[in-house]
Formats: sequence, C-alpha cells, structure tokens
Amino acid sequence: MRGKRSKLERGEALTGYLFILPQMLGFLILVLVPLVMIFMYSFESRNLLFGNMGFTGIDNYKTLIEDDLFFLTLRNTIVFSLGVVPLNLVLSLALALYLGANAAGAKVVRSVIFLPVITSGVAWAIVFTYLFQGGTAGPINYILSLVGIEGPNWLHEKGWAMFAVVISRVLKNLGMNVLIFMGAVLNLPQDVLEAGRIDGATKPRLFWSIKLPLLMPSILMVMIVTVIGSMRVFDTIKLMTDGGPEGSTMVLVYYIYHQAFRTFNIGYAAAVAVVLFVIVLILTIIQWSLRRRASFYED
Amino acid sequence: MRVSRKIKAICLLLVLALAAFPVMAQGGRENSAPSGPVEIKIATWTSNPDQIALLNSFVEEFAAKEGIEISAEFESIEFGEYNTRLSLELQGTEAPDVFWVLETSAPAFIQSGLLAELDAELAEYNPDDFFPKAMELWQKDGKTYAVPFSTSPFFILYNADLFAAAGIETPEELVAEGNWNWDTFREASKAIKDATGVWGYQTVDGGGYDVRILHNLCPIIRSYGGDAWTSDGEILINSPESVAAVQLFHDMVYDDGSVVPPGDQSNFFAGAAAMTAAQVSRVSNLAQADFAWGVAPMPSGPMGDVPVTGQAGIGAFSKGDNVEIAKKLVAYMTSESCVARMAGIWPPARNTVLQSPDFLTSQPLLTSDQMSAAVASSIETGRVLPSHVMYPQIEVESRIVWDRLWTPDADVQTVLDGVADVYAKYIK
Repeated sequence: MRGKRSKLERGEALTGYLFILPQMLGFLILVLVPLVMIFMYSFESRNLLFGNMGFTGIDNYKTLIEDDLFFLTLRNTIVFSLGVVPLNLVLSLALALYLGANAAGAKVVRSVIFLPVITSGVAWAIVFTYLFQGGTAGPINYILSLVGIEGPNWLHEKGWAMFAVVISRVLKNLGMNVLIFMGAVLNLPQDVLEAGRIDGATKPRLFWSIKLPLLMPSILMVMIVTVIGSMRVFDTIKLMTDGGPEGSTMVLVYYIYHQAFRTFNIGYAAAVAVVLFVIVLILTIIQWSLRRRASFYED
Repeated sequence: MRVSRKIKAICLLLVLALAAFPVMAQGGRENSAPSGPVEIKIATWTSNPDQIALLNSFVEEFAAKEGIEISAEFESIEFGEYNTRLSLELQGTEAPDVFWVLETSAPAFIQSGLLAELDAELAEYNPDDFFPKAMELWQKDGKTYAVPFSTSPFFILYNADLFAAAGIETPEELVAEGNWNWDTFREASKAIKDATGVWGYQTVDGGGYDVRILHNLCPIIRSYGGDAWTSDGEILINSPESVAAVQLFHDMVYDDGSVVPPGDQSNFFAGAAAMTAAQVSRVSNLAQADFAWGVAPMPSGPMGDVPVTGQAGIGAFSKGDNVEIAKKLVAYMTSESCVARMAGIWPPARNTVLQSPDFLTSQPLLTSDQMSAAVASSIETGRVLPSHVMYPQIEVESRIVWDRLWTPDADVQTVLDGVADVYAKYIK
C-alpha cells in the first residue's frame, strides 16, 4: 500500500499534469466529445436537412441488422483489409531488408519508395484513376495490349475494382512502413546475426530464426497501424470508384459518409460509425495481446 | 520554493494559452456590428468567371436599388459534391444566404424548411410571367420556395468535322429531312466510330453511367413512352417502353462499341467524341474548339419529340442572418431584366423573355435558328427530370443496381426490375 506522498512529490505530479493538460484538452474537445456525441446520435432519428427528430432508442441498430448494404460494406472492408495489410507488410518488409543490406541502387529506391507518402492522396487517386482507365485509353491497359493481353475495365468491373483500389492504396503507403522496418532492420544486433552465420545458418534460416523474431515487435506495431488505416480508407474509394461498381468497393467509412452526407441520415450513420469503432477497438485489443505473446525478445 | 515557482510559471503560460484560445478560435472574424456592408454569401456549382461576374453584377444592381452596401462572396462547389457541402454548411455558421438548388433535391430542401418563402418579394417582379409548369417543382401548398433561374433543355452537340470525315449526314441535315430519331442517331454514332475510330457519343458531362444516369437515360426513355416514375408515384422504369429505350443505349455501348464506355475519360469538347448531350451553359466550352460543330435537338422516339429540361433554382436560406435581404435579392435576380441577361447561359422560365426576339441572339455562339430549334422550342413543352423528397436515398441505393447494367451481358429487364424495386421502396 502506497504511503502518503510528500509535498514535493505532489508538486512534481502537478507539474506533470499541467504539462499534459493542453494535449488532454485537445483530446477531450476534439476526440472524446465528438465520440460521445456519435454514441448519442446513434440513438436518435437525426437528419442533416431536417434536424433531430427525436430519441429512437435502438432503432438505428435494428435497421442496421436488416440492412444488406451494411453487411456488404462490412464484407468489402474485410476484403480490402485482407488485400492491403498482408501485401503492404510483405512488400515493405522485403524492401526494408533489401535497402537495409545496402544493395545496389538502395538510395534511389529509398527516395522513390517514399515519394508516394508525401504525395497528396487526392492527386495519387486521380493519377491511378487515369492509369486504370478501361479499353486501351489507360496506360496500364495499353501496356498490357502490347503483350497481347486485353486488360479489364479496372474500376468499373466488379472484382477488378477492389483489386485496383488495393494496389493503389498499398503503393501509396508502402514508403512509411518501409521506413519503420528499415529502422528496425538497421538496429538488428549484428553480433547475434554474426553468431548465426558462424554457426553455418543459411540466409533463409537467418531470416526465419533470427531476423523475423527480432523484428516481430515492429511487425506487429506496423500491422496494427496498417489494419486501422485500412479500416479508415476514404479518399482512395471516393475518388477512384465512388463505392462502385455495384457497391463492390463500398467500405464502412465510405458507407458512413454516404449515409451522413449524401442521404443526410446522420443518426443511422452514427450507428454504423459506432459499429466501426467497436470493430477497430476489438481488433486493436486482439493485436496488442498478440504483441505480448509473439514478441519473443520484448521486455 | 523552486517547485512553486515552476508551477506558477506553468500556470501563467496555461492561462495565457487558454485566454488566447477563444481569440484564435474566432479566426479573425470581423466585428459583426451592423455598420459596413451587408455580407451575402452565394453558393453555386458554377466556377465560370464570366458567369460569376454576371451574377455579381446583379447583386451590385440590387444593392444600388435598395440603397445598401453589399459585399458578396461567391462560393463555387463542385457539382458532384454540391448537396453534401451545401447541407453541411446550412447546419453550421458559414451557411450561404442565397444558394442554387438542384432540381432533384428541391422537394427535400423545401420540406426541410431550409428555404424561405418568396411570394411576397416576387410579387414586385410579375411572378405570373413564369410558366406554371416550370414553377411546379419549386412550390408547395401554393407557396414558392425557390425560383428556377434555368430551365434548360438537353440537346445534341456534334462535331461536324467527324461527320464529314465519316461521309454521313449531320444531325441538323437529318432534322431538316425529318429523319432525326434514336435509330439514325445510333447509326451515325456507329458509322463515325467505324470510319474514324473516334467515339460516336459521349454521355452528358461523361457522367451518364453514374452521377448523371437519369440525365443520360431519361431523354431516350421518355421519347419511347417510358419514364423513371411519375408525379403520382407510378413506377415506369421497368415498363416495356423503358426497357426498349435502355436496351438501345446498352447496345450502342456494348454491341456497337460506339459510345465512350464507363471509365473512359474521352471528352467531346477535346474532339474525342462526335456527339454529346448538353445544355446551353456548356456551349461556352466550344469557344476555343478547333473543330466545326453544330447543334440539334434530342432525337425523337416512338412518342415523337419529348424534350427533357434540366432545371436549377435559386433560393434564400430561411435561417440566415440576412434572410430578408436574401429573399429580396433572389426575387431581383430572377426579375425579367436579370433573366433576360442570363438567358444565353441559363434559358428562361419567364414567358416574356422567351418570347422576346433578343432571346434567340442571347447566346453568341449559337445562331438564332439553332437557339430556336434546339432550345426555345423545347422550353415550354419540356419536362423536368423526376424528383422526390427521398431522392438522395433513391439515388444512392439505385446506383448500386444501375451498375449491373454496365456489363456486356447484362439483362436489361432484370436490372430495371431491380431498379424499380428500389424506387418502390421509397416512392409511394
């Protein structure tokens, strides 16, 4: 049981609280209050044009359970995340290992790979919309036609649209993850790797048995950030497909936008937002608990 | 004591920061004291500087007439985002005092009470001059909530050079022969694609597969005797007539391959398509065109000529700070004098302006004959696109079903049955 704190300790604690006060105020005003309001709105029949039409209890959640479009968007969100997260992790880790080994052209690749991160998301999506045009009007299909392949109408065919959006998104955010992984790769303990090499470990064995376990904390951290990011995708979908064709790229955040700002149904949009919040929260808790188990070398 | 001094210093900084916060949060907003010019914000979806200048000249005239000083701020919102941005702004502190209203969302805006009633202000400017048919959409229970500043029929713009290159008759020649219909339109489109490799037709603003799907399909559907839905709630989108019309367009896209397909950004105004559906306000895009071009009415169908007009209204925000001035301004901007000057861009719903000989010469890029054939003759008889108080929901939900149409092997009847189911959910 802790004893009573001295005056000095109380003073230092107060100093600490005062230091974090501005940040806490920002969090309260800009995050917590809107979050609480979203929860409240989800129990109201609230319309952007018509205003609040009263407390409706769990009606919005009942509608949600019967809404096929909600389940379609939920499925699309999972498909999108399953496309983006593994592809992003594998590619960024491979690139980080390549660049960390100071291979040929590493400096150029490092610069090029980071360019999309600092490029505006809107500009990126517009360029990719142009690249993925159907027929032979789009550069990608034109190149495919040179080798005798008739490319699909990427953004207007069900199936291909999600693929095109995933590719665009992965390439956009790859650089940031490469940067994080590179930091981890460059900090790998060289003595352990050297010991492995002396013991005759092959490159694959070094990777699987030494590098990967040592990199696991970084991998899990990047995974959490990428999963949450993939759940919040908006600009890419808005500009490239507008949720189509046939709603095949309509993800949860975009569905919230549709409900709130296109059909003005703020109350229902808030209910969907609450569901998204719970999903992301659960996923984050799961991943943090996994972090403990999978991070062999973490204190 | 060191700690207490430190705490005092931090407290002082914190108090200063908190004191500065409300000042910063005001964002340098000017004092809202009644002195100085009245600030009027006007939201539109045009960003054309000439059109904005014309609207601003109306504001200046109005201010002089009323003996007040007005500082007008024009906000141009992109067409596809117009309703979203506008509805958000109307709930906040930066709401426009005067704003354009899309025809499809007119019923929802009127019912929401966001539009101020205008009858008293309009009384000064001969309101009986407006075609009653053109006013229907903007009135409820005998009261007027917005005024159509544009009643603009759709017509066909064509690239005469491409028609010459393909060696076929132009739409205007076919009109003169009385042979301009959807079949000859389809033949011309295919002939040009086959002969020149250039697309025969681009849908209205390239949005005919998504954001402008009804603008694209309604002219064909109605001239075949179908419709999306009627004002008394009858759903006709899957009627045999509508199916035949949509089948024609689908065949043009996928069998003939003559229409700019979904996802292709080829543009008529850049010379990458031989025809497009347009309205008068788009003609200014051809001022610098490096090809010869012409204008023809929309082709006729089994029901003859059934012109479709696109309408846009202007209204005053009922909860704005300057609502009384905004209402008077809207009435002035839709007066005979202003409508006459807008007529070359946004065709009038006022009878006196339409009947005036000046109207036919109001668009400098079009001849009197072209204005008469493609625009004037369609205004009185044209019908606006279908609208409904639940239109936003209808649009979002039906779009997912419409998307099924844009594959080569789509069954048009099945898709339109699906669209009809969505319509039926909201239209009763």
